[in-house]
Amino acid sequence: MDFILEGIYKAFLLLLGGHEETWSAVYATVAVSSISICATVLLGAPLGFLLGYCSFPGRRAVRLVVDTLLSFPTVVIGLIVYGFISRSGPLGELGLLFTLQGIAVGQVMLGLPVVVAMVANAVENADERLEATLLTLGADSTQLLRATLWEVRYHLMLATVAAYGRIVSEVGISMMVGGNIKWHTRTITTAIALETGKGEFAMGVALGLVLLIIAFGVNISVSGLKRRVAK
Amino acid sequence: MSPLYSLSGIRQRYAGRLALDLPSLSIEEGSIVGVAGPNGSGKSTLMRMLAFLEMPQEGQIRFDGTSVDASSGGSRAAMLRKHVTLLTQEPYLLRRTVAENVGYGLAVRGQRNSADAVRQALADVGLPAQEFMHRQWFELSGGEAQRVALAARIILRPKVLLMDEPTSSLDEESAERIRMASMRMRDAHGTTLVIVSHDREWLDSVTDTMVMLRNGHLAG
Repeated sequence: MDFILEGIYKAFLLLLGGHEETWSAVYATVAVSSISICATVLLGAPLGFLLGYCSFPGRRAVRLVVDTLLSFPTVVIGLIVYGFISRSGPLGELGLLFTLQGIAVGQVMLGLPVVVAMVANAVENADERLEATLLTLGADSTQLLRATLWEVRYHLMLATVAAYGRIVSEVGISMMVGGNIKWHTRTITTAIALETGKGEFAMGVALGLVLLIIAFGVNISVSGLKRRVAK
Repeated sequence: MSPLYSLSGIRQRYAGRLALDLPSLSIEEGSIVGVAGPNGSGKSTLMRMLAFLEMPQEGQIRFDGTSVDASSGGSRAAMLRKHVTLLTQEPYLLRRTVAENVGYGLAVRGQRNSADAVRQALADVGLPAQEFMHRQWFELSGGEAQRVALAARIILRPKVLLMDEPTSSLDEESAERIRMASMRMRDAHGTTLVIVSHDREWLDSVTDTMVMLRNGHLAG
């Protein structure tokens, strides 16, 4: 027990004392997860709309694939992205391996199914009078997409925070694609795994606390948005 | 002068069941046309087709010189929808303020969406702008929501206003406001009105032509 309490005490000292290595991991996490969630929403919202709104052959199959991808293990995504962006991979020339951008590619693959599935579900369950209303007021197809996404905006925000929660807490992609390089691609989760393995419990706890604070913020956002959605 | 709408050989089916069979129907510009008939007689199908929300599976609709049929692309229907708007029995209000709801149609048409125009449209349906403009969609009663929906269509100055049971679920004051506002549109702007209503007294007193439907066919 003393060992744990001492770890927590030292963790606060590291955080409040501005320990550079700790804050470097925090910065890398915030930077890469911000890029990832922005790209995820920009891609996922229109794709979710198309999946929820349009009828096309194979739509059910696509829904099944998207739903299956919701539980895609992060190490498998890491493996796939690694294969594509490694030196000998088809995208090797882009030089994304062991970079934050490379991690972001994997994290977008992780978050995309969450946003696509939740937005598609929201669009499918939107009031059936919405489409006729927008059309009869003169909306074209682009305006229909934008207005529909605005109508389901609380669901979209809910999808965003759910995807962000998944992205910020993943370890497999960051470890495999980022390489856990100190001062560069070491994120909170990979640092926790490494430091705990080395017996540096305090730093692991410090980073864990930051992750918990982020997760707490995400959960508060989700519960607030759920209330708005239910309104 | 050719009519505003000419429908010919219209046949519309849902799941194999014939919902509408209109060999011929014309609507003159600036007229008030009443549509009556029992439930399931094809009134709402006809209104959706006149609103270009649904394309005819068979036959042709000619509107102001432009024809649409089953082979017409969505862009032609979208172009025609700029001139025609539909008010339903239970309209959907966007999850925005009253002012944003009323101004939405102008905004998507790329027209100037002035607060004065919104105020005027609200005044036309008997809603004081000062009191209602900034209200949210969920802060309105059923009658107020229906009047906001009508204001959102009045502001567009459409060639045709289609109204599908616009007063059936409203209190008498709201119903009267809707009736007055729609009549004013016709008188002031020459808007063609097509009205589906069970209120035969109102229809008989204002319409130039009555279309009676029964089981999807013209009954008289």
